[in-house]
Parts: sequence; structure tokens; C-alpha cells
Amino acid sequence: MKRRAFMQGCIALGTSAIILPQVSILEASESTGLKRIFYVKNSYNLQHENAKALTKLWIPLPLESAYQSMSDFKFNANASKAYVTDKNAYKARTLYAQWDNGGEKILEVTYTITTYERTSDFSKATALSKYSKEVARFLKPTAHIPTSGKVKELALQITKEAKTPLDKAKAIYLWVTENMYRDNSVIGCGVGDAGKAIEQNLLGGKCTDISSVFVALLRSVGVPAREIFGIRLGKSRFSKACGGSDEKGLAKITGAEHCRAEFYINGLGWVPADPADVTKVILVEQLTLKDPLVQKVRDYFFGNWEMNWMGYNYGRDFVLSPEPTQKPLNMFGYPYAEVEDEVLDYYAPASFRYSFISQEKI
Amino acid sequence: MKKIFFFLIPLVLLAREELIIKVEGMHCPLCTTAVKKALKKVEGVESLKVLLETKSATIVAKDGIEDKVYLDAVKTTGYDGVIFSRHHLKD
Repeated sequence: MKRRAFMQGCIALGTSAIILPQVSILEASESTGLKRIFYVKNSYNLQHENAKALTKLWIPLPLESAYQSMSDFKFNANASKAYVTDKNAYKARTLYAQWDNGGEKILEVTYTITTYERTSDFSKATALSKYSKEVARFLKPTAHIPTSGKVKELALQITKEAKTPLDKAKAIYLWVTENMYRDNSVIGCGVGDAGKAIEQNLLGGKCTDISSVFVALLRSVGVPAREIFGIRLGKSRFSKACGGSDEKGLAKITGAEHCRAEFYINGLGWVPADPADVTKVILVEQLTLKDPLVQKVRDYFFGNWEMNWMGYNYGRDFVLSPEPTQKPLNMFGYPYAEVEDEVLDYYAPASFRYSFISQEKI
Repeated sequence: MKKIFFFLIPLVLLAREELIIKVEGMHCPLCTTAVKKALKKVEGVESLKVLLETKSATIVAKDGIEDKVYLDAVKTTGYDGVIFSRHHLKD
């Protein structure tokens, strides 16, 4: 059997001309919090009945930020071509690979990710509601994040007593964590169709569903907000619901994708939030909203992120690069692959086939 | 007369048509795979392409399959389909 030569790549991020770090000066959180280091490995062996067809794979890579940094990035593939790009509307870092012919389709990616716990000092918040163009884009609706009609009606009702953008964000966070709930029957992280959820009063879902409602409500009352798609990397100090690993820090993170959210407050910058994990703690720990642990988690996840997780991108309803046959993509928190025009089921790692592991440096 | 009849039979059997079915409910790339898999199961379908961008399935199939057969297949995915166009293909 003729074996395809393996293609290797490594990019010294920060010096590469391909991708430059995008650390926003608008980051709210201090990056001096608890530091954690994880070694991440993604393995792919793509499967499809039409094994000889043109096969394309897009893999989300972690974004560069004050609270997380990627290093030692390497990939090894038997692909016809493979490269890193961020040429898309959200500058979502992507490792793209393409196989033109038959044979195995193997790819392995490794990197180190260093994270810092995010916190917020709410005393710095101002009531100003003028935003830069870079921030104001996260006020606009998308196909799954409408900001008018019933979404706006509900948001106005929730925030009727709120005077400042921060008051509005808090009121919406409290409403979402009180009224939405985690539904484990939802596939993957959920579609994140905020319009449908609110119009049809479908308040059960998973992290993308819950974060998307949070974001849509915020945007509709003029507070910039965005989902951030990523994956859990290791143990949480709060609850097994928020991430786990074995005693040596090894975590099998296939299927551990998790969507969080951020909102923007002048004086503070982007503020982290995770309403979905409040609902997950309630379900997994079998507690109620009034339980002290849930109250602690609910309070913490408004303004803080435990960084046993890394973020990939903010992309919603956008087109990847190079352009896939199917577009737009509603979110890019999972690897995405097409065999000719057919999409592999990214929610089914065993058939797709991919696996991820994370080893924390202890 | 008999000769003409026997000549026409294979033409009828080989007749093909192209249909376009609109599936407006598709909202993500995975929906297209589900719709494609469902339509592939319809006996007589030779080729098909499902696109999210146009929210449609373009099918080449043997002539004469009823609309309902296609629409029932789409329905198994949880979406409703509407026949947008249907025409015979010239050999």
C-alpha cells in the first residue's frame, strides 16, 4: 500500500506571520489569578463510507488572550495539505486539513495551554453605554441570536428596574439561572437558538442554549455580549459538574466541549459569566437554587471564570475558511468535517472519529 | 405497433426527473446530513445534494415517485419539506 507522507507543522505563536496573538486591551479580568498549565492532545482518524472522496477538516484552536495562552503547538498529518488560518469573520483560529484521495485520514495536534483565573472588580464599572466598533459588533443579531420581538420584550421586562448596563446584566443573569434548566437529553452543547427558546418558552437546554439566551437578552437591551465556545480541561474546585480529572491530572475530554459567555461593561471591559454551569451544578449535584453550593457557584460565575477550561472563539452563524460546502456554521466549538458535501456528525466522536485528552501539570 | 411498444418500455423505465425540495427548517450543517441520509433511502433516488445555504435538496431520481414519498422521508428528520420544482430530464 502506498502510504502518504506525513505532514508536520509547528508554529511559534507570537512570532508567526500566519497568526498573531490577539490579546485585546479590552479584557476585563486581571491575568494574575490562579495559573494552571495543561498539555492537550487531539487525535483524528476520519471515517466515512465514501473513503476515496475529497475530505476536509476544520479544527478549532484556542484563542490568544490575557487569560489563556497557547504554546508548543504542533501537528502531524498524512493530509494533502494542512495549515493554520484565522481568515473568517470572527478570526477564529483554525487548523485546516484536506485529503484529496483515499486511504487513512490521520491527524494529531498537540499544544500546551496556560490559563489564569478570571476575576472582576465591579467597583470599576461605569454606566456609560457608548462602545467602540469592535465591541458594538456584539450588539448585532445573528440567525440564532435575535434581538427584537419577544426576545426584546422579555429582556425589557427582566431589566425594568435596572439603571446601568451592569444592573441589566445582573438582572438577566439572575433570571436565566433561575428560569432555565439543564436538559441532558439535548445533543452536544445544544443548537443555541435563542429566538426559538424564548418564543416557544423552551427553557431547558445545554450550555450553548443557555448562553445564547443570556447573550440575546443582553444584546436586546443594549449590553454587548457574546458566547465563547471552548472545552473543559481539568478538575473544578466547585463541582464534578464543571470538570474532572483523575488523581494524576489526566482528563479524557472528548465530549467536554462547553460554551461560556461574556458581556461588556465600560470601565471593566469584557466580563466573564457562566450561567449554564449554574444549571449544570443544580442537575448533577441534585440540588436546588437555594442550596449554599449553588448560591456560591451562581455568585462566582457572574464575573469570574475558573480556568479549568479554554476558549476557542466567539463565532456564531459564520463561514469558515477555506469555505465549506455547507454554510453558515452555527458555532465552531467542535471539529467540523465534510466528505464532499456531506457533514460528519461532530456530536459523535466515535463515528467521526476523534478523541481529546488533557494532562494538567501538577 | 408491437415493435414500438417494446421500444418505449425501456424508455419509460429509464426516464428520470430532477426535483428540488425546500427544507426551510434546516438550521445547521448537520441538518443537511440528516436530510440527505433520509432521502437516500427512497428507492429510485440516483443522486442528491442538500445545501444549507439554499435550504434545499436537489434530487435526481427515476420518474414517477410520488411527492409524498419524498416528503415523508424528509419528515423523518423532524423537518417539513415542500416540493419546489420537478421536471423530466432529457436523456
